[in-house]
Amino acid sequence: MAAFIIRRLLWMVVLLLVISFLTYIIFYTLPAADPVALRAGRLATPELRASIEHTLGLDKPWYIQYLKYLDRLVLHFDFGYSYQNSISVKSQIFDRLPATGALAVGGALVWLLVGIPVGIISAIKRGTWMDRLAMGGALVAISAPVYWLGLVSLYLFSKGLGKIPLFEGQGAYPNTGTIVSDPGHVIPALILPWCVLAASFAAVYARFLRGNLLETMSEDYIRTARAKGLRERAVVFKHGVRSAITPIVTILGLDLGILLGGAILTETVFNIPGIGRLAYDAIQKSDLPTVQGTVLMGAFFIILLNLVVDVIYAFLDPRVRY
Amino acid sequence: MRRSVRWTLCASVVTALAMFLAACGGNDNGGGGGGGGTVTTQTKVQEGKKGGSLTFLAAGDVDWMDPGQTYYTFGYQVAYAVNRTLYSFKPDDSIKPVPDLAEGEPEISADNKTVTVHLKKGIKYAPPVNREVKAADIKYAFERSFSKEVPSGYAGTYFGTIVGTPDKPNSGDIKPISGIETPDDSTIVFKLKDATAPLISQALVMPITTPVPQEYAEKYDKSTPSKYNQYVAFTGPYMVKNDPTTGKLTGWQPGKQIQMVRNPNWDAKTDYRPAYLDSVTIEEGNDDLTTAARRALNGSGLACCDSGAPPAPVLKQALQRNKDQVVFVPSGGTRYIAFNMTVKPFDNINIRKAIIAFSDRNALRLTRGGAVLGDIATGWIPPDFPGFKEGGGLKQNTDLDYLKNPNGDPALAKKYMLAAKKDDPSLPIDANGKWTGGEKILTVATNADPGKKTAEVFQGQIEQLGFKLNFRVVPQDSLYTKFCSEPEAKVAICPNVGWFKDFVDPQSMLDATFNGKNILQHGNVNWPQLNVPAINDAMKQASTLAVGTERNTAWAKINHMIAEQAPAIPWIWDKSATVASKNVQLVVNGYDTAMDLNFSSLK
Repeated sequence: MAAFIIRRLLWMVVLLLVISFLTYIIFYTLPAADPVALRAGRLATPELRASIEHTLGLDKPWYIQYLKYLDRLVLHFDFGYSYQNSISVKSQIFDRLPATGALAVGGALVWLLVGIPVGIISAIKRGTWMDRLAMGGALVAISAPVYWLGLVSLYLFSKGLGKIPLFEGQGAYPNTGTIVSDPGHVIPALILPWCVLAASFAAVYARFLRGNLLETMSEDYIRTARAKGLRERAVVFKHGVRSAITPIVTILGLDLGILLGGAILTETVFNIPGIGRLAYDAIQKSDLPTVQGTVLMGAFFIILLNLVVDVIYAFLDPRVRY
Repeated sequence: MRRSVRWTLCASVVTALAMFLAACGGNDNGGGGGGGGTVTTQTKVQEGKKGGSLTFLAAGDVDWMDPGQTYYTFGYQVAYAVNRTLYSFKPDDSIKPVPDLAEGEPEISADNKTVTVHLKKGIKYAPPVNREVKAADIKYAFERSFSKEVPSGYAGTYFGTIVGTPDKPNSGDIKPISGIETPDDSTIVFKLKDATAPLISQALVMPITTPVPQEYAEKYDKSTPSKYNQYVAFTGPYMVKNDPTTGKLTGWQPGKQIQMVRNPNWDAKTDYRPAYLDSVTIEEGNDDLTTAARRALNGSGLACCDSGAPPAPVLKQALQRNKDQVVFVPSGGTRYIAFNMTVKPFDNINIRKAIIAFSDRNALRLTRGGAVLGDIATGWIPPDFPGFKEGGGLKQNTDLDYLKNPNGDPALAKKYMLAAKKDDPSLPIDANGKWTGGEKILTVATNADPGKKTAEVFQGQIEQLGFKLNFRVVPQDSLYTKFCSEPEAKVAICPNVGWFKDFVDPQSMLDATFNGKNILQHGNVNWPQLNVPAINDAMKQASTLAVGTERNTAWAKINHMIAEQAPAIPWIWDKSATVASKNVQLVVNGYDTAMDLNFSSLK
């Protein structure tokens, strides 16, 4: 197991390097806009442009720029400075990470707490009104775009705007403090975003788990378990769900990794200052260092959580050995 | 300035007023016509109540905190609350600046080559600097803005005639400028290479005149780019919350928020600003301005937005139900459709005149919201600007037949098309004055409404004349940085350009945009690439005239000379809108067209 983890960690470094190179090339060759012109403003003289190019290091060949970037990143863990405001990208990412983390992890808890029971009940009560209601609801939740759902929830349930003002709404997330240091403000501000973010995920997980569980429950070893006289609850949870839930762990790792890289739409609707919005703003302004930083951070989480998933697999499925 | 923003923002602003105006604007059929019927279009400055906190909801962030670099509307809104410049504007008078750090009017020498300004005494920096402002601080502010460490977006353009400024601004380190002298702590003298004192004296309202204490800032200015952006020393009624020992701005979290608190060293006796509020928080990241504006209208102690105007549905609601919670102010600029005069067939003046004559500018204006959102433009000097009255006001340039009818004149257009055919028989124009050429004309428009709608309406109009367009829509930023401001891109028509004031002088409206000497290979804002020696010479002459009627008249004539060349279709002098909660006494500054945080208060 240790060798496996070390090997995967080394691969992670290689993957991150490849991703950083690809991101660099894409944004260098196909920038959305000219960062020099954006920074120079409307009266950009050739001298001003040259000065800004020099300041940003854009007057050097692309490979020199990239090597310098790598040098800073690898040797100093420095993501560079934003083209837009000259503020350290690392500080901006770490400043926003707690918000994205709280949103993603909290959202994941909500969708697991909702999606798994719904999937199990739906599978056990297959064909009943409960199954139909659950799967119908899941279809609606999957079909509803997050942005739309967010706005609807704001106009229905948020304080200040909603018809039934139950929860905090847009802009309630405190700009200072985290879920650890200031739970009294952060948790109420995240209830609605968690629900919105979790809606479609919970639906997908419920449908996925239902399908898996139905398949598992028709396996021979389930019949054997029943024949042994095990109680139905033990059959379902000990033998059925344990097996059916394994693939859920895989997609949970991926989903959580992606969300830790930024839940752009939810962050935008509720004005949560997370990494997704930082990335979105940076892309619009051709702010390459910030884009690089956020992409690398997202990639890091996806790779890391994949590794975690693989390790958890070994515990969930006795057949898996590394 | 910020105005760049304007141009940058040109699209994001006023989003959908279009539809709404169609519903509520009744005066859309006429010509220029007055502004917007029942809506408050100017700031009335009433005495406010002291105290309280206000939250301003914004989508974006300031460009820079550093006064040497800020050049966008939103940056100005904050800059003029936390800094003091030599001169600045009261919210209800965007024409005549008032002394701020200065004690009185600038003294201009008879030869127009020297400007002297005396400073007030007793103005102090906020912690951690704490000392009194000196003239040398303003000198240093200029010197750093000409360096590569602090690449100001306009220092070279507006202040490049100061003796001793580098030939290539922003290319070297910070160096003394010999033409700025400080004979004592409260006097600063600008010596000029040319007789351009009138322009320079008008430009002393810009943030470059914010004092910067050298002994405090130079350690940050040694970095390229300068790190002073995160350690600004404030002089205004407010300051961004900072560490009182190091000066590091702790209240500015880019993209998240700006926390402004009272400057403990600000002395009200030295300032004309009342600064009613105790604190202001700018909540950033409100990309969905519809929701943000609704929060402001329904909530308490809130105001919105930073992008020129809230989206149309919210404005509609506000004008119907909360009229006293909305304030409009003229944006101080012109939006126009530029023809590239170096690209065929727009090198032919009669083709340009024909298209202008045919264009229904009233329909174009409806795409932004109709009459409530501004008057139909007939030139490039906007309402209430020096030179506007001298040029004929809302009727400026309407002696030119192709600018006379805001609804378009097909017969006149036909006349000009046939005249073009007569000039150049090789042009593919039929007997009905229709263009029959098959080549598509490259037109680049923004991909965001309302600018996209404007471009589409124009496309429909010009295609009626027979022209076929290669119509491309691109993101707003790319529109300028990769297409319209890059002559090499050879874009024939730019339907979404606009120019807004940097300061209140007609030269600032016309020089950069229509002087042939200002055509640049990159970042060009003379979009039509108009290069007429007579106009260039007239601008040179007019730039030396003293502020007043003669100068205004000269620039009004230049405005007319430009219109005679038909380089573009001016179609709206628009307005900005700000909304606020019921308990907010909203005051908008006519200069930067943004909420004036120094004069607004809670009821």
